[in-house]
Amino acid sequence: MNGVLRVIMLRIGQALATAAVLASLCFVFVHALPGDLALRVAAARVGDERVTPETAERIRREEGLDRPLIVQYGQWMGNVAQGDLGRSLLSGKPVTQELAYHASFTLQLGLIGWLLSYLIALPLGIMAGFRPGGIVDRMTNALAVTLASLPTFLVGIGLITLFALTLRWLPPAGFRTGAHMVLPAFTLALSLVAFSIPVIRNAVVEVRSAFFMTYARVKGLTPAAAFRHHGVRNAAIPVVTYAALQFAFVIDGFVVIETLFNYPGLGELLVKALIARDVPVIMGAGLVIGFAFAVVSLLADLMRLWFDPRGLEEARA
Amino acid sequence: MSLVFEPVRARSLPTSIWPLAALAGLALTGPFLAPLDPNAQDLMRVMEAPSITHLLGTDHVGRDILSRVFAGAPHSLGLAVLCVTLASSVGVALGLIAANGGAFVRALIMRLADLMLAFPGLLLALLFAGFLGGGIWPLLIGLNLALWPQYARMAEAVATSVLREGHVEAARLAGFAERTILKRHVLPPVLRAVMPLATLGVGQAIMSISALGFLGLGLKPPTPEWGAMINELLPFLAEGFVQMAAPCAMIFVSVLTLTLAGRALAADPTGGGHD
Repeated sequence: MNGVLRVIMLRIGQALATAAVLASLCFVFVHALPGDLALRVAAARVGDERVTPETAERIRREEGLDRPLIVQYGQWMGNVAQGDLGRSLLSGKPVTQELAYHASFTLQLGLIGWLLSYLIALPLGIMAGFRPGGIVDRMTNALAVTLASLPTFLVGIGLITLFALTLRWLPPAGFRTGAHMVLPAFTLALSLVAFSIPVIRNAVVEVRSAFFMTYARVKGLTPAAAFRHHGVRNAAIPVVTYAALQFAFVIDGFVVIETLFNYPGLGELLVKALIARDVPVIMGAGLVIGFAFAVVSLLADLMRLWFDPRGLEEARA
Repeated sequence: MSLVFEPVRARSLPTSIWPLAALAGLALTGPFLAPLDPNAQDLMRVMEAPSITHLLGTDHVGRDILSRVFAGAPHSLGLAVLCVTLASSVGVALGLIAANGGAFVRALIMRLADLMLAFPGLLLALLFAGFLGGGIWPLLIGLNLALWPQYARMAEAVATSVLREGHVEAARLAGFAERTILKRHVLPPVLRAVMPLATLGVGQAIMSISALGFLGLGLKPPTPEWGAMINELLPFLAEGFVQMAAPCAMIFVSVLTLTLAGRALAADPTGGGHD
């Protein structure tokens, strides 16, 4: 299991490095913003009008803002390492609480959208792969290229125009009922489909032309049985690997979709925090997104090793 | 690289070059093509349907949509090209340095690239653009941080494999300077590998820039950037479908053109020529 351990360690390293860079970046940003930091913190705490030089001075001493930068940096990184992300400058609630609330919404949207995308992409990709150059292949290819050339917010605006404004079947934005979920999930699914159809199609084409498939047919298996027993697992390798890359792509999707549909997920939280310069929340959301990316990459690595143990030899080497 | 003269193949580039040229032309001359002042408001004529004076209608403060779409081309298209040119130059340079340098330099550059790739998608660009807000520079820096690693990786991989080849060894033995070898033997295949990536990259950069504009974190209104225009028009979607469709269609057509051109280049990286 040496190889598996190595993969896990690599991904943990990735997560920690990402966290360190993010935390440092946020520290630099905070101190690079124009104006007196103590005054800004004071304004956020007691309101703009009631800030006096005395409050600013007190906060400067309390928060250690008068100490050398390097000491402040050490303290900042120490707090982050202990999971102490502080409080939101906007709502005053602990950042971890805000993150937990919004992450559950993003997780919901992500899972439904992801499942939906594979419900669409798997049949289409497999059908296209079984007849390269056929009518299904050409149509799905056109669909994939079109969807890949549409930024997520255009897909969303198109769906809103059609289903919410013209047909009036669904609500355009919000998050109260299940119906509110349909359009965001579909938008996400469609932007995922653009990239998973070609990946699935190519995997199927490649496996079907492999030598072991010819052998399976020669030994007397029907095409369907040959594909079931020898094709699926092999075709799954690139598809599974792709899931992680896709997640990286989806981050943009989440941010855009949640903002467009006014859906209270992490992406929406991040955008609001960025506009308000709410640094603790920005850093928290960034950390969660970075960690989630590392975890999904790790899952993809492990799935790939499970499907294709040959990778273990390379990982060991 | 073949010694045999190959006849000109594949007509993919000549057909795909014209839409690309049209996009480039639009990016360069867009503001001069605008029939009216893109920022001139007319509060008596808000959200007007298309007419002779306003071919694509007016927006919520009575600005001419057609003029704004033209005037937005340098921001949406030009900035994307600038961004990818910068990122691919930096990436190729670092990739070549990594391929030529010692083990330490290579590890340093490639690990740095890995670290940047560990940030999913737009996250870095979001942070930079969001934090430093509003201008072209934060946008450019943020997107470049996210984009250069893929070019560095590609350049490093190609350069490393070319440096191991026989003709490079022969050139070395013949006494050519490292610089000459780099220019004559390494750079051409690296650029051939990077070109399709960069073409697709411009399309992605257009999407990223407009996405940031749409989120209100990129170029700020009243700059007529297409994403920012969409952000401004969104609350009036029900009243002005044509107005909204205009910047949307521009983004779609631009990205589609670049995607198709990038694919044609990737399928035939020589672009129909020979070396």
